[in-house]
Amino acid sequence: MRSVLFATAAAVAVLAAGAASAADKIKIGHLADYTGATSDVGKPYGQGVADALAYLNAQGGIAGGPVEFETIDYSYKAPDAIATYKKWVDAGVVAIQGWGTADTEALVPMVSKDQIPYFSASYSGHLTDPAGKGTHGSKPAPYNFFYGPSYSDACRALVQWAAADAKAKNIAQPKFVHMGDNHPYPNAPKAACAEYAKEQGFQVLEPIQYSLKPGDFKAQCLSLKESGANYAFLANTGGSTISLLKSCETVGVDTQFMGNVWGMDENAMKAAGAAADGMVFVVGAADWKSDAPGMKLVRDISKVSDASGSAYRPVHYMRGICSVYYMKDAMEAAAKAGGVTGPNIKSAMEAMREHVPAGLDGVCIPSTWTPEDHRGTTKVFIYQASVQADAQEIKKIGEADIPRKPEWLGW
Amino acid sequence: MAINASALVPCGQFKTSYRKDTTIFPTPVARNFAIAAVLLLCLLPLRFGEFELLGRYELNLLIQIGYYGIAALGLNILVGFTGQISLGHAAFFGFGAFASAWLNNSWGVPVFWAIPLAGLLTTLVGLLFGIPAARIKGLYLAIATFAAQFILEDFFARADWFTGGSAGSLAGGFSLFGYDVDGDRGYFYVVLAYVVVMFLLGTNLLRSRDGRAFIAVRDHYLSAEVMGINLTKYRVLSFGVSAFYAGIGGALFGHYLGYVSSEAFTILLSIQFLGMIIIGGMGSVMGTLLGTAFMVLLPEVTQALVSTARDFVPGADESLAFIKQAAIGLAIVLFLIFEPDGLAHRWKMIKAYWKLYPFSY
Amino acid sequence: MNTTLLVQLVINGLIIGTLYGVVAMCFVLIYKSTQIVNFAQGEFLLIGAWVCWWLLTDFQLPFWLGFPITLLFMLAFGVLLQIVVLRPMIGEPIISVIMVTIGLSIFFQAMMKWIFGVWAKPYPRVFAAQSVNIFGLNVQTPYIMSMVISLIIMAGFAWFFKFSRLGLAMRATAFNQQVAQSLGISVKMVFAMAWAISAMVSALAGVVVGMVNGVSSALSFFGIKVFPVVILGGLDSIVGAILGGLIIGVLENLAEFVDGQYLNWGNLYTVAPFYALIIILMIRPYGLFGTKQIERV
Repeated sequence: MRSVLFATAAAVAVLAAGAASAADKIKIGHLADYTGATSDVGKPYGQGVADALAYLNAQGGIAGGPVEFETIDYSYKAPDAIATYKKWVDAGVVAIQGWGTADTEALVPMVSKDQIPYFSASYSGHLTDPAGKGTHGSKPAPYNFFYGPSYSDACRALVQWAAADAKAKNIAQPKFVHMGDNHPYPNAPKAACAEYAKEQGFQVLEPIQYSLKPGDFKAQCLSLKESGANYAFLANTGGSTISLLKSCETVGVDTQFMGNVWGMDENAMKAAGAAADGMVFVVGAADWKSDAPGMKLVRDISKVSDASGSAYRPVHYMRGICSVYYMKDAMEAAAKAGGVTGPNIKSAMEAMREHVPAGLDGVCIPSTWTPEDHRGTTKVFIYQASVQADAQEIKKIGEADIPRKPEWLGW
Repeated sequence: MAINASALVPCGQFKTSYRKDTTIFPTPVARNFAIAAVLLLCLLPLRFGEFELLGRYELNLLIQIGYYGIAALGLNILVGFTGQISLGHAAFFGFGAFASAWLNNSWGVPVFWAIPLAGLLTTLVGLLFGIPAARIKGLYLAIATFAAQFILEDFFARADWFTGGSAGSLAGGFSLFGYDVDGDRGYFYVVLAYVVVMFLLGTNLLRSRDGRAFIAVRDHYLSAEVMGINLTKYRVLSFGVSAFYAGIGGALFGHYLGYVSSEAFTILLSIQFLGMIIIGGMGSVMGTLLGTAFMVLLPEVTQALVSTARDFVPGADESLAFIKQAAIGLAIVLFLIFEPDGLAHRWKMIKAYWKLYPFSY
Repeated sequence: MNTTLLVQLVINGLIIGTLYGVVAMCFVLIYKSTQIVNFAQGEFLLIGAWVCWWLLTDFQLPFWLGFPITLLFMLAFGVLLQIVVLRPMIGEPIISVIMVTIGLSIFFQAMMKWIFGVWAKPYPRVFAAQSVNIFGLNVQTPYIMSMVISLIIMAGFAWFFKFSRLGLAMRATAFNQQVAQSLGISVKMVFAMAWAISAMVSALAGVVVGMVNGVSSALSFFGIKVFPVVILGGLDSIVGAILGGLIIGVLENLAEFVDGQYLNWGNLYTVAPFYALIIILMIRPYGLFGTKQIERV
């Protein structure tokens, strides 16, 4: 598993860094899923992270010098992620851009012990409780950060939207169901969201399980159809959701589907075709067509891997960039506070209040981390997919602000 | 093959009793070589100031060869020596890993004791799954173990009390007399000790009455039964022994990584185990190690090749995992077609060639 | 007890079951004539579906042209595979033969993922009407077609083995290779044709599934599902394969029913066939219609 791609843009790095020797370079690990069960969304996100890091290096690096980063594809196998992590610890990595829920949650005690800030692409609510004060038995995760609304908050936002939608459609007691694989990632918001749906007057049905891998899900769709669920929360990633939507279209399900932040994007919409029409999903940053001022920087970053500038980047790409830029800002603050070390990066992150990285206005949602609360943002963008004969588009249909209730910490 | 092997015994080696014909090592020279090799391996992790004999990367590969090798030897006893087929070896390997972590986490058993205990627990499970083997054989057994692999995988993802469910569970580090064996350099010795013990046990088993009974069952089960070998007993026992090895290997794997999850023990790992013994040579203890080394190094070599030829391989970076998997499949197929007796046989040929060089005729 | 759901699931099971039946038939064809257990049967579906998809999308071929080309390709592929890889395996122990097909299976699976990716890609539309309604269950046209096609294939197989020269030769070879050879049947030809036909028909099944669900790596799972089917039906029985397919298809969906309504375990749908497999092997290893092997000393 040695050095898949030490992606230091070597030439640029040497020019910019001058005489900086390899020893004092900041080392960053980048764990990505390019071939596993979540590779459909892992590719655009991983590309975002890799492009952003390469772009930063070309611009002179972080905190005065280029960084050295290694991208490793772990195929969404948690054991491989742990093995990679151990290797990185030995190599002296100061921070990690991670990926899945299973591996991030398994690594929590290790990163706390080794004091390595871990910026995951898993937005599991269990990672938001740095001090272990949550009331739902969460364990302390002091070194875990992520950019975006937690899965639980995203699901709550969708439940809010569904409640309003049900009211508008005059559904007396709407039924809500959670669908996903038996895996830490889809399971993460299961209990929290069901509880909230109950509070909002939904009848919560038994969850329905469908694999993270593509397949034929007609049997599950028939169960869903007969259960009479009005709103189904799809907790898997886009790839298997395509198969589910297609199967459900075949058997004639008319449930309103709601996807989590990884559950739907432009690629999945294209592949699912008409079956994806009307699906509602969560987005955690601006989309590619947005005209926010920060999109200029995003488009520059995108040119790292696409010189022509013509590639269309799915929504996950932007979140990858945001995640890197928050880490970069924290590292630079840490450098001023005495050195780029794990504890310094952590306290720099926890000093951020309604922070947006420079140049990314309108792209990243302003985020706040404190020593007691690692819910960076609780603002959720809700989008809807619209697939007509030959026009496919995603459009924003609402925003939700989920309150930072203390009893929801770490859940 | 036996005739072939004895033909290669060097001059001056005369065996005057049957006992001498069944020593662990065929010749004193071979024994001395083995001892020297173990001693040499003991030196490898040492570090002299800045200078180190082996980097962490190489050490990690050696440790992998160690724990996979132990499990592969178990499979070789089952497949190569007893002639049963198991497509579910990864499930036993996984069971050992989970059992050891569970004993350590839930019962507070120190890791030092949890590893052998996990081996024994896995033996029980192996015996249980071996009972069908008494009834069915050959192809049907292969398919039954194939199904068992899927059933056990499902069990691992569901049994929260035992495995931590789909989230997996953490496995504590190894400690000895209150001293924590932290890092690869220490753990290397733990694995090495287990490899030496397990391989000696294995070779000893095979020269005992039970071991010969296994081979008799493989070669002609009807004749074996006529000679008074209890077929049912030995078929089930063979599953038990094989599971014991898998359990020990799995437990070593779990505590090395510090984390166990059902994702590591898929059908692909079962196939890799079979690949190890096929490539190494079925029915060869030495071959097992060779085959394991081959299987562990193959993905690394593939990776190195792909990254040097990155410009010529489409999707080299984001499809590396697929290319590695294709290499495993291809290696198995090519070995079966061109060298069905495995690396052990090739090694013998090479030895024979040099023994007579340059007068090979 | 939710009867409508039950009925719908059973119908769904029967439809998917005919497909299992077709794939199992291809598996049995190979086993019967060459005594090789093909663990790579699912990859035949995968390769066929991807090749056809590739011809239809990248080359914009019409279906009536792209599909026959796919079949021709599979014919060549099957023959080549038999000659290059499986012929050297004749006379080798069972474990070697099994491992060769397993090795092929993971090799082809990985290659297809490398070339085409893992995720579902939609097929260009072939049929005008999207779906038809049967007993309240909306079924997509390709699925009805798959059922019809499956039935035609099954009838074709029956005719082939009863009346055609090659089919008779295959049966003779399966019965006794030496006798067949002495009667002037080219056993090599028979072996190659068995693989070729199996590959072609599997590809057909793959294309059908691809049209409904989109083509994805999930197609190779048919190759795993085929084991419960053939063990239930009997490894060497064509009729058994069809019946086994239907039974396993229905069983899966019944498992989903029990699971969804009462147990809520969530995964019974996928593992139930494997439990069935083990139980059958314990009770009746030669299956419903298979030949019981009698050993004489």
